Amino acid sequence: MTSTLPVAAPAGPGQTPGTGRRRPLGRSLLARVRPWMLLTPALLVLAVLLLWPLVRVALFSLQDYGLREIVSGEPNWIGLGNFVEIFTSEQLWAVVLPNTVVFAVLSVAFTVVFGTAVAVLLASLGRVWRTVVSSAIMAAWAMPAVTGTYVWVWIFDADRGVFNHVLQALGLQDAPVNWFTDRWSFYAIVLLNVVHHGFPFVAITVLAGLLGVPKELLEAAEIDGAGAWRRFFSVIVPQLKQIFAVVIILSTIWDFKVFAQVYLMPGGAGSNREVLNLGVWSYTESFGQNRYGFGSAIAVLLTLLLLGITVAYVRTILKEEEL
Amino acid sequence: MSRASTPARVGKGVAVALLLVFTLFPAYWMLVSSLDATAGRGTSFVPAEPTLDHYEFVLTDGGFDVFLRNSLLVALATVLVSSLLALLASVAVARFRFRLRTQVLLLVLVVQMVPLEALVIPLFVQVRNLDLLGTLTGLIVVYVALALPFGIWMLRGFVAAVPVELEEAAYLDGATWGRMFRSILLPLVAPGLVATSIFGFITAWNEFVFAMTLLGGETENYTVAIGLRSFFGQHSNDWGSIMAASTIITVPVMIFFVLVQRRLAAGLTSGAVKG
Repeated sequence: MTSTLPVAAPAGPGQTPGTGRRRPLGRSLLARVRPWMLLTPALLVLAVLLLWPLVRVALFSLQDYGLREIVSGEPNWIGLGNFVEIFTSEQLWAVVLPNTVVFAVLSVAFTVVFGTAVAVLLASLGRVWRTVVSSAIMAAWAMPAVTGTYVWVWIFDADRGVFNHVLQALGLQDAPVNWFTDRWSFYAIVLLNVVHHGFPFVAITVLAGLLGVPKELLEAAEIDGAGAWRRFFSVIVPQLKQIFAVVIILSTIWDFKVFAQVYLMPGGAGSNREVLNLGVWSYTESFGQNRYGFGSAIAVLLTLLLLGITVAYVRTILKEEEL
Repeated sequence: MSRASTPARVGKGVAVALLLVFTLFPAYWMLVSSLDATAGRGTSFVPAEPTLDHYEFVLTDGGFDVFLRNSLLVALATVLVSSLLALLASVAVARFRFRLRTQVLLLVLVVQMVPLEALVIPLFVQVRNLDLLGTLTGLIVVYVALALPFGIWMLRGFVAAVPVELEEAAYLDGATWGRMFRSILLPLVAPGLVATSIFGFITAWNEFVFAMTLLGGETENYTVAIGLRSFFGQHSNDWGSIMAASTIITVPVMIFFVLVQRRLAAGLTSGAVKG
C-alpha cells in the first residue's frame, strides 16, 4: 500500500503544475492538448463499450424489446410498462429482492467479520506462519468464480458429493439430500462460496492496516488497563475506520452483483424460480425468454441500486484525498 | 508472544489449523477428485485409484486443448490493448492537471461498479449488429473495455510514484516529452505494467457471462470458462473430468495471483487508503 503515494505536487487554483512548467515556450498549446491526446483512446473505448451500452439498456427498458426488434432495429416504446410489471410482480417482492438484498447484507457481514478475525489472527502470528497462512488465503482468493462454484456444487452434489457421504457415514442422515432444491440451503451454499472467495481481500487489507497502527498506542492502552476487546474496539477500529469503510462498500458492491455463483448451481439458471436474484432474473428474462426490454428494466434497477452504493464509496474516497 | 499462556497458544494453533482446512479444502478436493478414477464413490480423502486419465481425456477428446488456445489468445490480446490504453490514460491523469480531470477519474471509478448484467444485453445487440457474434474478436473488444478502468486506476498510482524531479532532469538534458516518456517513465512504471497486465489476463481468463452470451453455439471458439459446461451431461456429470479441467484453469491463475497479490490489494484500495 506504500506504492501508491499521492501525486507529487498538489495543485492550487490557477496553477498548472506538471511537466511543462519549466519550459514556458513548449508549454502553451501542446501541454494543454497532451493529456487529452493520451486520454482519447481510453475514453473512446469506455464511451463506446460502457457508457453507450448503459444509455441503450435504459432505452431498451422503456420498450417491449424482443427478437423482432433486435432483427429489425425498430423501437417499440411502451413507456414505463416494464417497470410497472416488475414492481407489481409477486416474484420481485417475495423472491428476487430478498434473494438479492438479504443475501448481500448477510454475505457482507460474514465476509467482513470473518476477514477481520483472520487479519487479527494473522497479525498475532510469527513471520513463518503468517506467510504460510496468507499464501493459503491467496489460493482461496485466486480460485476463479466459475471453477470455485463448480467445486462447491461437486462437494454438495446430491448423489456423489462428499458432504452427503460424510453425513451418512456419521449416521446423521439416512439418504442423500439434494441441497440445491431448497431455497435456504441453496443460498447457504452460495453464501459459503461467496464468503470463502471474498474474505481474503478483507483479511489482507485489514492486516495491512493493523500492522500500521502505532505500537505505542496499543501499549498505552494496555498500561491504562484496557483488555484485548477494549483495545480492539476503542483503539484499532477507530484507526482503521477508513479501511473498514472501503472494505464494506466494495464487498457490498460485489455481493449485490453475484451472478456466476448462482447461475452455475443446479437450478440456478432459471429453472428454479425460487432462487432467482436480480442479476440472474434479468439475464434469464432476456436471453431465456427473449424479453430483452423487461430484462433491461431489471438490469436498470440493479444498476441504480449499485450506483447508490457507489456514491457512498466515492464520498468516502473524496473525504480522504484529492484524486 | 513469549508471554502468551499455553491455552492461548493451543487456541491459536487450533484456529490456524481450522482456517487452513477451510481455506484450502475446495482446492484440495478439486485436485483429489481430478486424480481419482473412482471420484465420488467413497468418502476417501485421498485418491482411491490414482490416475491421470481425466487429464488425458480433457486435453484430447474433451476439446480443452482448443479452449485453452482460445482463452490464451483472447487474454493476450486483451492484455496488450488494455495495458497500452491504460498506460497512456494513467499518465494523463497522474501527471497533468487539466480541466475535467477529477471528472474523468470519477468516471473511471464509477464505470467499474456497473453490473455486467446491465451491459450484456446492449453489448449483445451491438456485437450482433457488427456480425461478430460467435467470434473471438467480439469477445476481445468487450474484455478490453472491462479490464481498462481498473488498469487506469492501478497504473495511476505507479505513475504518480515516479518522482517528478527525474522528469525535470530529463528536460534539463534537452529531452523531448516523448523521449522522457520512453527513457524515464516507461522503465520505472514497468512493474506496474506487469501487475496491470496480469490483472487484465485474469479478467479475460475468468470471464463467463459474456463468453456464454456472445459465443453462443460456436463450440470451436469456446474459452475455458464456458468449455467446462461441455462435461455436464443430461443425466449425470463427468465430475472427474470437470475437476481435472477446473484444475487446469485454476493453476495458472493461482500462480499469477501470488505474483501480484500485493499490487492487487494496493490497487483496489489506493483511492482511499494510504499506508
